Amino acid sequence: MTGTGLRGAPRSVVAVAAAAVLLLALPVLALVQRAPWSGLSSLLTRREVVDALGVSLVVSLLAAGIVLVLGTPLAWVLARVDLPLRRLVRALVLLPMVLPPVVGGTALLFALGRRGLFGQWLDRWFDLTLPFTTAGAVVAATFVALPFYVVTVEGALRTSGEDLEQVASTLGAGPVAVLRRITLPRLLPAIGAGLALAWARALGEFGATITFAGNLPGRTRTLPLATFQALESDPEAAIALSLVLLAVSLAVLIPTRDRWLPTR
Amino acid sequence: MRPGTFVLLVAVTVGLVIWLTTIAPDDNSRPLRILVASSLSEVASDLIDAWTETLSSEQTVSVELIAGGSNHLVAQLRDGAPADAFLTADPDLFDDLAAAGVALGRQETGLGHNHLVVAQPAHGPTRSPIDLRDPSLVLVACAPEVPCGGTTVARFGDLPVDSFEASARAVVTRLALDEADLGVAYATDVSSHPGLVPAWPQEPICPCVSYAAVALSTAGTPFVAFLADDRAQSILTIHGFPVEPPQ
Repeated sequence: MTGTGLRGAPRSVVAVAAAAVLLLALPVLALVQRAPWSGLSSLLTRREVVDALGVSLVVSLLAAGIVLVLGTPLAWVLARVDLPLRRLVRALVLLPMVLPPVVGGTALLFALGRRGLFGQWLDRWFDLTLPFTTAGAVVAATFVALPFYVVTVEGALRTSGEDLEQVASTLGAGPVAVLRRITLPRLLPAIGAGLALAWARALGEFGATITFAGNLPGRTRTLPLATFQALESDPEAAIALSLVLLAVSLAVLIPTRDRWLPTR
Repeated sequence: MRPGTFVLLVAVTVGLVIWLTTIAPDDNSRPLRILVASSLSEVASDLIDAWTETLSSEQTVSVELIAGGSNHLVAQLRDGAPADAFLTADPDLFDDLAAAGVALGRQETGLGHNHLVVAQPAHGPTRSPIDLRDPSLVLVACAPEVPCGGTTVARFGDLPVDSFEASARAVVTRLALDEADLGVAYATDVSSHPGLVPAWPQEPICPCVSYAAVALSTAGTPFVAFLADDRAQSILTIHGFPVEPPQ
């Protein structure tokens, strides 16, 4: 599809689109405008800021990795296999998007906490406790980020259709070869886009993390948690932290969007 | 979608948003809003009941009680959240409010005291003071930014904390869920929660906190004034907040 140029676009649509951009851009602009630019370098080199950035990067990247490994097969099954309870599974996949993250964190605690439904066995058999650990923060981030990836990839699988795959099968390719040589290569743009979305969601994750993983500098205190903490005692530091979050996410999302979501 | 439908949809949406802004806060009809530190949740509702009983029958007051971490509440007030009174364990926060341009009315200080205890889940194994510094146990405490956290540092110094909680009540919740082995919490919260016990016998020791209240509107003044009343003080004492500080 090619663009028509601004001249050919219906004016009312462009006007509303501009209003939408304004709604999204204004808060960001205001944040930048309120930033303590003169003291920024000393704020950003503070121990707690550096620690939070480190925790955030580790947690969000690990979560994105797990999302990729778990989400791709799930998306494929949802799109291609006639599961008996497919509607239910799909609703379940969407649930973390709808659930308030704090509720999600509490639910994780009930499931994987050390007295949790499943967590008690982890604790007893493997001496593995997730709450209050970086691993716990990764689990919380994965929980909220997974749907964004699965929905994106499943959608792409559905729209791409099965024609090529069927042709490959009739030419004698086995199911694994079809998956590896046909399905996955065609899916790469969607995988990239879904991964970028899921990573962004994991980076900004707050509620489930603080509820499930707690709040300890250098271990579970991510940038959003540090921002929340600072907002109440040191608003300037909070703005500086939000700028870091903004910069990191833009640095990753702008190039990936151009690459994986080609505009034409 | 036809262009006419689209324009209509836009117009309806804009109209709805504008209508929503007009039905937002109406200062005359909203209930009296009282913000309290999380450790005061229960006693505050008793105090409000006792106060409304002192009012004459034609003065019907509906009260909205909001409990939370003191610093969180202060941040909301700084940003202009409507409120009529604020109760906290840290009167210094009133200075922060004044510095942020919040108009302060009548203040009452020394309303009741509270001290910290190291608590544990009621059915957990017996602990001793050495366990407080055992890194293999899960220890939770208030974040240094909230009053109970500052007091924790003053009382115990550096502890191997596993999670800094945003309010005194959040510590209690962690212990009650049995996700933490030990927690530094207010004595009142520990004694009023059936799932929690002091981890070992502990004398009430200061540094402790002393609660204070400030009126944020003229409507909030009578309630703040009532807090210095004997009836209010006896309610605080019943809930375990002694009027005199521990030794």
